Amino acid sequence: MIRKLFHLKYRMLFPIVLVLVLIMGYPLVFSFWVSLHDYRLTAIENVQWIGLKQYAMLFKNASYWTAMRNTIVFVVMAVTLELILGFGLAVLLHRPTTLFRHFFRAILLTPMFITPIAVGLMFRYMLNSQLGIIPNLLRLIGIQIDWFGPQLALFSLALIDVWQWTPFMMLLLLAGLEALPSEPFEAARVDGASSWRIIWHITLPMMRPIIIASVIIRMLDAFRVYEYVYAITRGGPGESTETIQYHIYRVGFLYFRMGEASAMAYTLIVVILFLVVLLFYSLRWEREK
Amino acid sequence: MRRLGQELSVLFILFIALIVVLFPYFWTLLASFKTEAAINRPLDWNFDPTFANWERVLRSDIPMQVRNSILVGLLTVAISLVVGAPAAYAFSRFRAGGDAIRFIILAAQMLPPAVLIVPLFLIMYKLRLLDTIWAVTISHLTFILPLITWFLIGFFEDVPRELEEQAMVDGCTQWQAFCRIVLPVIRPGLGAAALFGFVLSWNDLFYALLLTGKHSRTLPVGIAGFWTFRGIEMGQMSAAIILTIIPVVIASFFVQKYLVRGLGGGAIKG
Repeated sequence: MIRKLFHLKYRMLFPIVLVLVLIMGYPLVFSFWVSLHDYRLTAIENVQWIGLKQYAMLFKNASYWTAMRNTIVFVVMAVTLELILGFGLAVLLHRPTTLFRHFFRAILLTPMFITPIAVGLMFRYMLNSQLGIIPNLLRLIGIQIDWFGPQLALFSLALIDVWQWTPFMMLLLLAGLEALPSEPFEAARVDGASSWRIIWHITLPMMRPIIIASVIIRMLDAFRVYEYVYAITRGGPGESTETIQYHIYRVGFLYFRMGEASAMAYTLIVVILFLVVLLFYSLRWEREK
Repeated sequence: MRRLGQELSVLFILFIALIVVLFPYFWTLLASFKTEAAINRPLDWNFDPTFANWERVLRSDIPMQVRNSILVGLLTVAISLVVGAPAAYAFSRFRAGGDAIRFIILAAQMLPPAVLIVPLFLIMYKLRLLDTIWAVTISHLTFILPLITWFLIGFFEDVPRELEEQAMVDGCTQWQAFCRIVLPVIRPGLGAAALFGFVLSWNDLFYALLLTGKHSRTLPVGIAGFWTFRGIEMGQMSAAIILTIIPVVIASFFVQKYLVRGLGGGAIKG
């Protein structure tokens, strides 16, 4: 028994278990404890147990629901566009006859490596209604668009996400395309099927598991959107771009209501965990095929 | 003839995509050489380039923040490799923990920072670690350690078992075989994982914003700070943005080849 515990396997795993328990396990438990208390940084000497009251209050908290709704709208808009554009680009870059495809691949992937705050600030500058190049060019052809006005702001943030993360979607889908067997495609080409028919009847069905996995991975990531909001709108105008991650930051660190922020964070875990479980099963399903 | 038309339209679409990707870099780079007055005339292409923005940025706190970012990134990656590589090997070779542990690693990496920031902030506050690079490093470990571990599983899966078995026949222990045979074989994977981890640490704003202060501010916090107090210093901010972009874009060219295999984390292949 003792000998078994000293098996190399456990010695190799011990450090990671220790580190993860210290830096994630303990904070998670602590955070749950905080969420059950009226924990304010402004009154840190007077922390009171209030049980699940904070969770119950969230149901009546309009700002919380606005933030949740904004986040979901943002995620759906961004990921849908990323899937369409990413799939199109992946197919084009996968074609062996496409010239310079390695060059295009390398350049088109760069946005996903850049810090999101820089991306947010670059677009804030380019879309600014006075200084921005894009509104100025649009004005030349008679179009006036207020990109960060109340109607469009959330959509504009989603477009910025599309600029930065379509490459990531493209990368995952390219990997999927490369892993597909080539026989069905050759057979279809011999039968004289057009490119569109091949994509629609062969590529798309075969890619389904990979598409599902890629969409979930992007959704998980998009749920954390924070930097664009911080760089550009700070949640405004009104609450039209307040996302959940930004809202938690605001409640916890601008209003110092740590207990409430922790309770919100825990409800977020439920959503994320649901997506992670979905992802896990879709990956496993793919593997077992 | 039809084929030629098809190839040309493909090139045309890719060319448009290229412009969409490159234009923001180009426009920001241009702004970093413009005076405040030139920035206010966006459609006027005739301007005298100035180096004043770059000079001011290089004399500000930015170089110190670059140093902090590099330090935090290196520390995070070093700890993640030392702790993560043996674990990834154990997951891949011994099937340690089965699917459950892979799931936990994946879930840990996906955890939104908003969940951990409150407890981490309070813990750092109590340990008096706020405004030290250790606070940021520890917070970055929470997502980079799982990522690097997950990343390496895929690379270990590709190493043929015979390699270690041969080494063990020759008298190595399994640990020695791991250190002397397996690790060198996956060196490209280790490099890619390290570089990718470094880029993620370099890019983080959320944790860094809340856990750093005057002395330990990292670069993303620095550039985010350009527009709060004195109004926006567009030119200087552009110079700082270019400064953050260049190293990661260079890094990206080395990483992209390995990225897919790593992100699969042994899930797609294993």
